[in-house]
Parts: sequence; C-alpha cells; structure tokens
Amino acid sequence: MEDRVELLRTRAAALLREQVVTGILGFLPGTRGGVAQVGLVTRAEDAEGLVLDASCTQNIAKYLLKVVRAEGKVGVVARGCEARSIVVLLQERQFERARVYILGIGCEGVKKNGVLSASCVNCAYPNPVIYDELVGEAAVKESPAEIIAEDERFYALAPDERWRVLEEDVSRCIRCYACREVCPSCYCPVCFVDATMPQLVGRTHHLSDNMVFHIMRALHMAGRCVECGACERACPMGIDLMRFNRRVAKSVRERFGAIAGVAPEESPPLAVFDPADMQEFIR
Amino acid sequence: MYYNFDFTMSAVEGFQPKIVAFLCNWCSYAGADLAGISRMQYPPSIRVIRVPCSGRVDPFFILQALQAGADGVLVSGCHPGDCHYLTGNYVARRRFAVLNDLLEFCGVEPGRVNFAWVSAAEGERFAQLVREVTERVRELGPNRKLRKGVEGNGR
Amino acid sequence: MRRAIITREELRRILEERARTGSLYAPVAGRAGYEWKRVSAVAEIADCSGEPHTRVPAKRFLFPASEEIFRFRGAEAVESETPGRTVVFGVRPCDGRALAFLMRFFVERAPADPYVARRRENTLFVGIACNEPADSCFCLGVGGGPHSTAGLDALLVPLDERRIYVTVCTERGAELFSGFPEPAPADEEERRALERRAEEKISFRVDTQKLKEILDRAFEHPVWERLAFPCVNCGACTLLCPTCHCFEVTDEKVRGATSRHRVWDSCQFLLYSQHASGHNPRAHPAARFRNRVMDKFKYTVEQVGEVSCVGCGRCIRVCPAGIDIRSTIEVIRAEVGGA
Repeated sequence: MEDRVELLRTRAAALLREQVVTGILGFLPGTRGGVAQVGLVTRAEDAEGLVLDASCTQNIAKYLLKVVRAEGKVGVVARGCEARSIVVLLQERQFERARVYILGIGCEGVKKNGVLSASCVNCAYPNPVIYDELVGEAAVKESPAEIIAEDERFYALAPDERWRVLEEDVSRCIRCYACREVCPSCYCPVCFVDATMPQLVGRTHHLSDNMVFHIMRALHMAGRCVECGACERACPMGIDLMRFNRRVAKSVRERFGAIAGVAPEESPPLAVFDPADMQEFIR
Repeated sequence: MYYNFDFTMSAVEGFQPKIVAFLCNWCSYAGADLAGISRMQYPPSIRVIRVPCSGRVDPFFILQALQAGADGVLVSGCHPGDCHYLTGNYVARRRFAVLNDLLEFCGVEPGRVNFAWVSAAEGERFAQLVREVTERVRELGPNRKLRKGVEGNGR
Repeated sequence: MRRAIITREELRRILEERARTGSLYAPVAGRAGYEWKRVSAVAEIADCSGEPHTRVPAKRFLFPASEEIFRFRGAEAVESETPGRTVVFGVRPCDGRALAFLMRFFVERAPADPYVARRRENTLFVGIACNEPADSCFCLGVGGGPHSTAGLDALLVPLDERRIYVTVCTERGAELFSGFPEPAPADEEERRALERRAEEKISFRVDTQKLKEILDRAFEHPVWERLAFPCVNCGACTLLCPTCHCFEVTDEKVRGATSRHRVWDSCQFLLYSQHASGHNPRAHPAARFRNRVMDKFKYTVEQVGEVSCVGCGRCIRVCPAGIDIRSTIEVIRAEVGGA
C-alpha cells in the first residue's frame, strides 16, 4: 500500500503540473488519526500531502458532484467501490466521462475504530473497474463468506423475530441522515424524506417512520448501491444499514443479473426491463 | 384517549381484514367493475384506489397503506405485454419484485402484500383473487408491523 | 455546596431504591458506544471505560429527540404526560454544563418552555467526574473541566475501589446524598490530585473572548469554503451536540387524531433555513457549516451570554468526514485572526 501511495503522489503532482486536470480529489490526513478528510488538491506541490490508508473511510465519489464542472477535467483518486460509484453516476448521466480523470488504485479495506469495515470484508471489487490510469499493482483479496453467513443467520429467524431485530436496530435512528449524505448515489436535490407536498414519510422518530425511511432508502438503492459501506460507517448510532442494502443488491443480482456500477455502457437495472423477468411472486 | 386499539382478536372470525387495493384503470379496475356488474360475490375487504397504471404505484403507497392501518395490500395491473401504456407494468414488475423480496426479508409475512395481473375481462378471476387474498390475510391476523399510532412514540 | 464520602455499596442502595420508586437511567453498552437505558440494578450499568460518555448526550432527558407534546381531535387537546421522577446517573461534567446552558436557554428566559421546565423538575442528574479524558475531550479549553459541577444535582468522583467523593450541588441532590460523613482533608487532596491529572491530559485551549471577536468579523471570509469542503452536511454533529437545541414542530395524523411532535432539527439540513417562498439564505453548504461554528462561539454568547461548546468532543468522534472543530478553530484563528 505504501508504494502505491508514493506513486499516487508522484502521478498526482505530474497531472497537476502538466495541467491535465485543474484539481485532484483525494484524501488528506485527519486530525485525530481516525478519519481522513477529502480535499481538492490544486497545486502540484500539495500532492505530497495525499494519503490513502485505512482511515480513508468515505466514498470519495460523493464529492465528485461538488467539483465536476461543465468544462475542464477533475482528477479523482478512486478505489474499487469508488470507481463503481463513478460508473453509477455516469450511467445516470450526472456528468460526462471526459470531465473526470480517474486515478484508479487498489484497496486493502478501511477500518472503523481499528476494525476492518464489514463491507470491506465482504468486498468483491477491491480494484477499480474504470480508470484513466491504474496506480501501482492490483490489490489481491480473498472473498470471505463471513458477512454472508450473518445474513443467512438473520434470514433463518422467524418473520416476527426478524422484524423485532430490525425495529430494535432502527429505533436508535436519530434521522441525522449521515447515511444519505455520505452516499454517492444519494444526490436528489429534494430527498423523499424532505418532500412536503405530499409528505411521504413522517418526520418524527416514530418507529414506523424510521422503518419506512430505511426500507425506502434501501429500495432507492436498487441497482445503485455499490456496497461500499460508507453509510454504515457514518452512522453514529451503529445501525446495521448494509443489511437492508445487501438484501436489495442480492435481489437485483439474482433476478436481473445486474451488479451496480460495473458496466458504464449499461442502463440502470430498475430503469429497464426484460419481458421475461421473473414473476413467481405475482399471483 | 380517543381511540382504543384493543385488538383482542382472539376469535379470528370476528376479524374483518382491511385491504387496500391499487388497481390500474385500464385492466384491473375494469375487471373489478365487471365483477361488480356481474353481481359476483366477494368479501367487502378491499378499499380500491384507482391508478392510471401499475407503474404509477410507488412502493411508498404500499408502505403508507400499512402505516395507515391496512392489514393487507393488493396491487394489480395489466398482464405483461398488455399494458395500456405499453411498458408501465414491466417497469413496475421489477420494482415490485425488489420491494417484495425486501419486505419478506424484513419479516413482513408472505401474503400481506400481494401482486397480480388481472385483465378487464377477468371479472370472476378478480373476485376469486379477492376471496383468496382476504382469506390469507384473515389467517395472518391484524397487521401490526409499520402501523403508526398503536404504541405511540415507542421510545 | 455540601460534600460527602460514600461507599459504592451505599451508592448502589440509593440508586436501586430510586429505580424502584421512580425510574433510573444509566449508560449501558450498546451498538455505538454507550446508550441511556432504564435500569433496575447497578450491575446493569456499564463501566464507561471505552468511550468518554454516552453517544446521545443527557440533553435527551430535558429535550428528547422526538417528543409528542399533545394530541388533538377537533378542538379537544390532551397534553402528553411528563415522565415521573427520574434519576439520571452517569452524566459527564460536559453534559452537565450543557444542561445548565439548556436551562438558561429554554427556561430561564421568558417565555419559559413548559415541557423542558417540567422535565427538569422531575429529574435528578447525578454526574460522574472524568478521571481519564479521551483524546477528543477539551472541556477545560472552553471554560469547563473534568470535575465541573455545573448543571448537576450531584457530582461523584470515584477515589478508589470503595470510596466515592460526592459534591452535592442542589437541594434535590441533597435528597439523595445526606447523612454521610464529610470528606477528610486527605480525601480533598486525593480528589484534587485526580482532577489535576485529568486536566493535564487536555491540551487544547480556546480564548473564547478573543475567538468571539474574530468571529465578529469572519462572516464573509473565504476561509469557510475551504473549511467546509469535506463537510457533507449531515446532522450528526448537531443532533449529538449536548447544547444544540434546534427543533421542528410537526403535526402528524395518527389514526383519527393529530399528534403534535417536537423533533430535533439541525442547521446543517438544507430545509432548516428554507423559506416558504423557496428562497434559502443558507443554500450553500459552507454557509450551514459556518452557522454551527458561529452559533457555538458567537450567537449564543449574544443570546444568553455564554459559549455553548462544552468541549465534549462528540462532534469530533461522530463526524463521518473527519472534521475536528478544534482544527477548525485553529484555522480561523490563524487566517481570520492573524494569530
């Protein structure tokens, strides 16, 4: 990982010096050593400050929409899940491919409180699927089964018990929307929870409304969630948000053969259809 | 308090399920209409909400129906290939599939939320569908999940 | 203020008695650090060695996250019941100072908030001093301290395995802790030594007077854009801040009646400052970021005469973007203040 970071700094500085890009979106050291900050480096000499390690817990693609312009090119340091998020944004026409220069880089996972993030344990795409250049060697990773076993254990519970577990989890939600704000796929100018005419979700922390919020956000992520885990790392109340998102991603994979953010030329799975789609659940 | 949620529904036959039915205007609503005109009998459990197309049905509607106190939900549209708007029901089918999987995963019992394709000519089929869904929801009992206002704030 | 020495066993008896006659809330281990839970036995209480305090601050006892105020149908309204006698055990001095601030903000100005006032009347806050501040703590830097008694009914300082030094701060505190021996001079020494050791661990200092003067001329400064860049404008910092007090009021239909709720709101949300006309004076994310810093160190000084940051460090711990308010202050001091 260290050599890759050195190489990244060199390449970033070169790209800025050669004016290939007007700025590079990357990580800068955090203050407490726990969480790095995302910044836009615009001067070649500042590229030295770029870091990339287990404290870089955000999905950097979130910040792309803040900095991408109608002209010019912005560089972005993108790991596996982040590159997939960029693909999702491209599929959804949020900006033109030519407006970003992707410095792809392999990832060994990020940590929260010293523990490898659950989504990193479960990650199947540590290397970027899209890039303008690849920095360093690809990351090597075995595919673990631990998280998947946890979901199976959950599914093995009786329905009422599953509901009770989720309610208990979701009862802690204080509707801070950190999950939504760190997610690159959540960019609606007016989120459904903020809609007023009509009001879609109640704004209190009533258990029913908290459940609707989480169920609907997961549904809005169908075919768009790259399972980076930024949401569950951001949640200050420790709610297992990825549990909902994983189930939805599984549905999309099994029913439509689609995986979020791997094929830029494909359409978002929920925006298209196949006349032969499975309909075993329909009476 | 104003309202008493005393659901001591130990006697299941006393329980009359409330089922919200989203029916697409061109096929399912017409099918329901045909059932009515033909004097076909089916339980008075459904509360019909007419929508232009099954594609209009946002998963929110289904969740809000449960929040408002519905014991079950039925969503019905044109058969695939016959959508009045050509592709509305195809798009809806994907959405419903994902919603259905997620709700079941969360512990909402199979049979609470139902999806069907009923055409304008299928009056008897519509009546039969309502009979089956009502029976299933009756078996499941009153719905508590997502219901708003039973325990108050719950915190 | 009266002082006493009690044993852990005596404390257990007092707390468990209160748990029986009313409610006792204390920190227990949860999915994200410590949570407030109603307990009936002292054995259920977490030892609080992992994190410096509960994730959700003690403000939730005076100002709950989501509170039904009343219900009405037509013209008939029924107010919600205020919780009965409650003892909240394990409040950190930073949260205590915050409680004092909230009382000044909500109750000691006219018109007094009746809901906060009623809750305060029914609640006893028993604090535990910090002998081991965390790296995110800076209470001392903003005028507080690891053994501060502000806002609390009593403050406990564990001296050793058996003995606890108690400072009784209010008459209600005296209800719990009277009839106990006074501390000996050696006990005072011990407590003072623990306090000094804790204070030494906190290095960050803010001259709040100077900072206010700097902020008075900082509004238009370009530094906010840069500081706010990593911020994603979620509400984590504000909702979990012990002194943040903004709320929205919403009426929601609940099966035949309408329920009026007060819910925590955040200046970081876009909708917070949205006008009905569609105009939003804080449409820019940096404007919302700026508002939080301004409110903590300038606006509340102008409103109630004090800085509202108590240095608990929750915002630092929960920020998903890695923003540290201490660094923010340092940058402002340097770039705007020229310090």
